This record gives sequence, structure tokens and C-alpha cells, in this order.
Amino acid sequence: MLTATRAHPPSSLQWISLITAAFLVLPTCYILYVALTAAPTVWSRLWSTRIPELLWNTLSLAAGVALTTLLLGVSLAWITVRYEFPGRRVWEWALALPLAMPTYVLAYVYAHLLGMGGPVEQGWQTIMGPDARLLSPQSFVGVTLIMALDTFPFVYLLVRGALLNLNISFEEVARACGVSPWTTLWRVTLPLIRPAIAAGLALVILYVISDFGAVSLLRYQTLTYAVYQQMTSRYDHTAASILSLLLVVMAIIFLVTERWFRQRSRFYQTSGRYRRATRHHAGPAGTALITGYVVLVFGAAFGIPAAMLIQWSIEAIAQGALDARFLGFIWNSSFLSALAACGAVIIGLPLAYLASRRPSRLNLACLQAAYAGYALPGPVAALAVLVLFTHFVPVLYGTVVVLLVAYILHFLPVGLQSMEPALQQVTPNVEEVARTLGCTTRRTLRRVTLPLIRNGFIAAWVLMFLQTMKELPATLLLRPVGFDTLAIRVWLEASEEYYQLAAPAALLIVLLSLPALLLLVSKDWRGRDQEVVS
Amino acid sequence: MASSCRTFLALTLFLGALTLSQWATGTAEAAEKLVVYSGRAERLIKPVLDEFQAKSGIQIELLSSGTTELVNRLQAEGDHTPADVFLTNDAGSLEHARELKLLRPMNMREVERAIPSQFRATDNSWVGLSGRFWIVVYNTNLVKPDQIKSLFDLAQPQWKDKIAVPNSGSEYLQAGVSVIKATFGDERTKQFLQGLKANAGTQVYQKSSQIVDAVAKGQVAAGIVNHYYVYRHLATQPTAPIAAVMTDQQEGGMGAIMNVTGIGVTRASKHVESAKLLIEFLVAQAGQKMFADLDKEYPLHPDVKADPSLIDRRTFRAAQVPLARLAELREATLTLIEQVGLR
Repeated sequence: MLTATRAHPPSSLQWISLITAAFLVLPTCYILYVALTAAPTVWSRLWSTRIPELLWNTLSLAAGVALTTLLLGVSLAWITVRYEFPGRRVWEWALALPLAMPTYVLAYVYAHLLGMGGPVEQGWQTIMGPDARLLSPQSFVGVTLIMALDTFPFVYLLVRGALLNLNISFEEVARACGVSPWTTLWRVTLPLIRPAIAAGLALVILYVISDFGAVSLLRYQTLTYAVYQQMTSRYDHTAASILSLLLVVMAIIFLVTERWFRQRSRFYQTSGRYRRATRHHAGPAGTALITGYVVLVFGAAFGIPAAMLIQWSIEAIAQGALDARFLGFIWNSSFLSALAACGAVIIGLPLAYLASRRPSRLNLACLQAAYAGYALPGPVAALAVLVLFTHFVPVLYGTVVVLLVAYILHFLPVGLQSMEPALQQVTPNVEEVARTLGCTTRRTLRRVTLPLIRNGFIAAWVLMFLQTMKELPATLLLRPVGFDTLAIRVWLEASEEYYQLAAPAALLIVLLSLPALLLLVSKDWRGRDQEVVS
Repeated sequence: MASSCRTFLALTLFLGALTLSQWATGTAEAAEKLVVYSGRAERLIKPVLDEFQAKSGIQIELLSSGTTELVNRLQAEGDHTPADVFLTNDAGSLEHARELKLLRPMNMREVERAIPSQFRATDNSWVGLSGRFWIVVYNTNLVKPDQIKSLFDLAQPQWKDKIAVPNSGSEYLQAGVSVIKATFGDERTKQFLQGLKANAGTQVYQKSSQIVDAVAKGQVAAGIVNHYYVYRHLATQPTAPIAAVMTDQQEGGMGAIMNVTGIGVTRASKHVESAKLLIEFLVAQAGQKMFADLDKEYPLHPDVKADPSLIDRRTFRAAQVPLARLAELREATLTLIEQVGLR
């Protein structure tokens, strides 16, 4: 646990990170400015009509989804890392697939399936009588389950990565000292993977409170949805800014708490003797149980919605929905997402590196600044970027650049969440050894640090690519003319209730996301990971 | 390892170069191109624009989005806006855009001949193209035809948990409430909205098509929508148990609430002549017929007949509130809606 404590003069890297952070908080500051200069009457009107309900809805939804994803994510990660069962290799990447399914798609599929008069309810009523009702997808429990099914892979992937990199020697020492398996789990394993759990849950909660697509389709009133409603029904954005202010404050409180927990549990791999856990072979009953559980979760989160999309797509293609324009939408989506992911990795690197290697108050503050963007709901981030650009660099307005800035602002935290643990995994000692052996700073970075953090960064790139591909509100508001993406197509068709016509674009988003996801969970990637650690 | 870094950098540079080239081609724009910002569903406008493109050779670039969003966007873009034409579903929003000086006053004889003056801005900076009405859609299994005559009936306690309403963000709800407010004053409107709120409960929808769907399924007994959603639903599901009431036609009643879809040329447009050609095309008889029929709306040109499946325009009257007033009424309407706490 030895960390270097030296006084560093401000380096050029530090300046870069400071300037980046300043740009990243600029839109947030604009929103805060508008909110805080609002007339008191607007505040009191919102307090008496909307705010208490919205706060309660948002917080209870975030808590419900976090709890559900915690149970799903950790249990599935544990099963796939520690048990051997038929089809394990397939299931372990299949469980990451829901990340490729946008929440609004999942929401509209379930609104159709479970909704009033939908196929499931009709089936239920033929068994239980005509007055039988099912769980409504628009209820609190319904919304919670749908959002959890879509977001649990965040927890699953991060916890799985942590479990794979976990040195089994720690557990063996505990067992050798006579500690029971359960106590070992609670006292040794879980604390070791706690940073991964915390990072995963942070992603989930931030995702839930800033989600727009699903809650709007399910008519569940959260702060972000209310911001969008205020924005699209008002010419001035005071009320939207006030609600955004609450969101940002909520996110900051949460992020600071999460970070505080994580600071207290930083672990380094101190010895070179890494060994991975051997897998238990589950018995017949265990195998049946595990398979049943995995199939259930996978089916609900991906299998059934994907089957619906395929069926609808076939119907839509039969109606001639695929035309030449479609190729353009595919190109726009891939192009924008790749560009945003590259940009965000470049911008995030100095922030994450400095905060993890020289955690001075200033560097940590710069990193936190980058996180604020995620809690700025998509539409508000978009509007703030739009106004800033038209004020200061109008010539760039209406170009892809504006949209990219909004994407990076919005999704950089997703990347940082996996860039940071990657950097934390690298013992500062390793770099210091390289320096002692005569490597320059730059050479150390290139030969030692970058190879060690490569996997974390690939994961960051992939996650940001996926998120951008699915993004809706900012794309709607900022896309240049003639620059519709697949997500926009889904939205334009689905919001007019042309579910079949929305399906081909939705299916394509899923398909385009698949190679990136495969990269994330491929065996090759994992094998190198171990090589690096050992 | 170093090679993967190089790959990443090469990818980034490549994408960056592409962006720049795209931007460069974007600024060197073709002469015969019109950028249309449309607050109307793409499906309902694209066929007409395609027809215009085929006839005139002028290429149309369409950006579809929410009405208020587009007004905000036009305002934020100011003189730099790429938009030449703004087309949307709500006269209040068009009038507001005019007040913000986003639209250009026009002097077009074809327009003045084709469209009656109550459906245009005073300076012709926007021109109405088609009309729609608020109606009450009801489930014929749950409601008897004479049970609902007026919008105010829906606020009666007997409809508790039985009606569906649009969310307060929809421009057509705001415009409708403005008309009621201008006709009956604040107090009565407030009571009406409170009744609606209590009766709708959580049945507040983002989209009118969802309201019609909920009524057809019997999830609710009745709902407030624009008339064409009913015909659109019936076109795909002819056996759906739904019917429409043109409300408030009784003696001394308010009349049906009307709104128009309209078009205006932006002040910053550099293609005014092309934009004029588009407007001429849309107000001419053939354009009127095509535009209105696509969405089952009422054409505004007095000589053009509406789709025969619609309720005959001569059999009902519209509320007497000038469309241009919708903009000035809006802010107070929003405050009222918020005071009542509609979602």
C-alpha cells in the first residue's frame, strides 16, 4: 500500500486536465446560473406542485433499480466465474448482451407485451377469468424491473472482471486459517470486489436518474422526464434548469459518497504470485437451478425483446421499410459513436491518470467535474452546449462537433468509471521501478503504464460507443440537418406508434453493438489481462 | 502494445479528418436546396415534400422534431440557422416565432387568394395549411352516444379514473386550454382542469395515438385528442369500438376547439424564392388536397373538399378565438396548468 508522496510542480498534463475540467463544467454552470437567478415565484410554484413527487419518484426508482441490479449482477458474476455448467462460455458473454438493448426499446416491447390487452394479459385472462390483471409495466415495480433488466450488466461485467482478477490466494489463506466459506465470502472476497460493485452501482444509478427513453414511454414521472417536459413545453428554460439543478445536486451528493467509500478500499496486487480460482462443477440439481436462473434473466432482458424486434422487423421489411436512406443512418450512427468514444478516451486520460496517480485535491476536483456531466440530463446538456456554442463559436453550430461535445460531456463518466479502476490496478511501484531503471516519463507511460491499463481503456471505449449509439435526447436536439441516426429513427417511428417500422433500426442498433460487446468479454481479452497481472 | 496505441490514434485521426471533410462539404451548400424544420410527424409531411421535390427539382432537407424544441432551436441559432422554412402543427407556436422575429413577412398573392385571412398571420409571416379539431373519443361499449356533449362533461365526478388526457407539454393541450380560458375565464377553466386531473389520475399520455389506443382497449372510457387520430386508428383497425364527438355544439356552447398546421419562411433564409415556390405549391388546390388528406385534416382552401370519412365541416362550428391570440395567451395558460398541477 505504499504510495509515493512527493511535491509535484504543475505539469503540462495538469494544465490540460484543468482546462478540460473547466470546459466540462461550463454547461453545468450555465444551468446553475439560470436556475439560481430564477424568480422566487417560479421556485415556490415548482415546490408546491411538482418537486416533492418528482424527488420521491426518482429516488425510489434509483434505489429499487440499484438493489435489483446488485442482486442480479453479483449473483450472475459469481455463478459464471466460480461454477462450471453446460454452456457457461456462451452464457458469460450472453449476459452482457442487454447492454446493446436501449432502455426505450425494452420499455416499448414490454409496454406492448404486458400492457393492457397485450398478448400476455390475454393469455392470463383465458386462465384466470376476464377480470384478472397482471403487473402493469407502468407501475413502480414494472418500471424498476424493466430498468434493472437493462442495466444489471454494468454490475455484472465490472464484478466479473474483479472476480477474475482476484488472487485466490487471499481466500485460501482465510480458509487455511479455519474461516468458514461464508465468512470468507463476507470478510475477504466481497470487500475485495467492493470497488467494482460500487463502480457498477454508480453507473446504474446515474443511468437511471438521467434516463429519458424508458420513463417517458412508461409514463413514470422522474426529474429527467419532467425536465424534458418543461423544456419542450416552455420557451424559457428556467423551470427545466431548476429541476436540473436538483438532479445535479443529487448526483454530486451521491458521487461524493460513493467516492468516499471507494477511497477507503483501494487494493493493489502486491505479489507476483497470482492464481485464479478453480471452477466448481455444479451437480445435476445445481446445474438445473443455475441454468434456469440464467435463462430466465437472459430471456427477460434480451431473448424475448430481441425475438419481438426480429418479428416486427420482418413485418416492416415486408412493408418496404428498408430503403437506401437506411445505409446513411447506419453510417451516421457508427461514425458518431466511434468519434465520440475516441474523443472521450483522449479527454478522459489526463483526468483519470492525475486523479489516480497524484490524488491532490485539485486533481480529484477535476475528475469530479467530469462526472457532473452524466447527471446533467441529455436534453439539458444539449441545450447548454447549444447556447454556449452559438454564443462563442457560432461557425461550428449545426456541425457534428457540437453533438460530439454533448456526447463526450454526457458519456465521459461511463468511460472514467472503467478507466479509473484500471489505473488504480497499476501499482505506483511498478512505474517507479521503471523510472529507477532509467526510463523517461514518456517511456514509462508507453512501455509500462499504457500496456497495463489497455484493457480498462478498451472497456471504456466500448461502453462509450454503446451509450452514444443509443443516445436519444441530445441527438434529437443537436443533430445537424440530414444527420439522423438509427436511434432517431427508432424514436421517430416508435413515438408515432409505428412499432413495426421502428424495429429494423432498433434491431440494427443491437446488431452494431454486438461486435463491440464481444470484444469486451472475449477470451482473448481476458487471457491477456491475466498475463499482465502476473 | 504500442501498435494498439497507434491503431487508436490512427482511428481517431481518420474520424477527425472525416468530420472536417463533412463540415467542409456542409458549408459549401448547393444552390437549389431548402432546409425544412418540421414539428409534424415525418410520415405525414414527407410524401408532400417528396412530391414538391420531384416537381420543382429543389432538394428538401427535412429535420423533424418537437414544435417548441424547434422554436427554441431557431431562436438559439439566430442568424446562423440553416433552416429556410418552419412548418408546424400549432398556430400559437408559429405566432410566437413571428413575435420573436424568427419569421419573414411575406407578400404573396397566391396565399391571399387561397387561404382565408383568419388562418394567417397579419403580415403573412406564417400561413395556415390545414385545420384540426379537439374531439372526445369514446369507447362505444362503455359510453352511450349522448352521455358526452361538451368537454366540460369530462370533468364531472362520474368519470373518475375513466378518462385519458394528453400531458401538459403537448402544444395542442395548451392551445385548447387557451381557447377555453379566453372563452370562460380563469375560474371556470381552473375548475375544469382540476376535474380533468382528478378523473385522469395516472392516465396522462405523451402521444394522442396512445390515448385512442387506451380508449379502444377499454382501459379508459373516453379521452381528448385531435380528430384525425381517431380516423388513423380506424384505418388500421376498422372494428375498434370507438367513436368521436365534436364537442360543445349545443345552443350557446363554445364550439369545437380548432388549431391549424402552418408554414413560415425564416428571416435568416437565403433561399426565399425557393421557399415561396414551396408555399405556393402547398396552398394550391392540389397541394391542399394532398396535404390535408395525408393526415385526415380539413383543408383551409375554401374550394378544396375534405376527406369524405370526416365529419362534414359544414355541420359544426368552431370556437371564436382568433388563432393569432394563442401565442399571447400561452404563458398565462401554462401558469394555470401548472397551478392545477397537471402532469
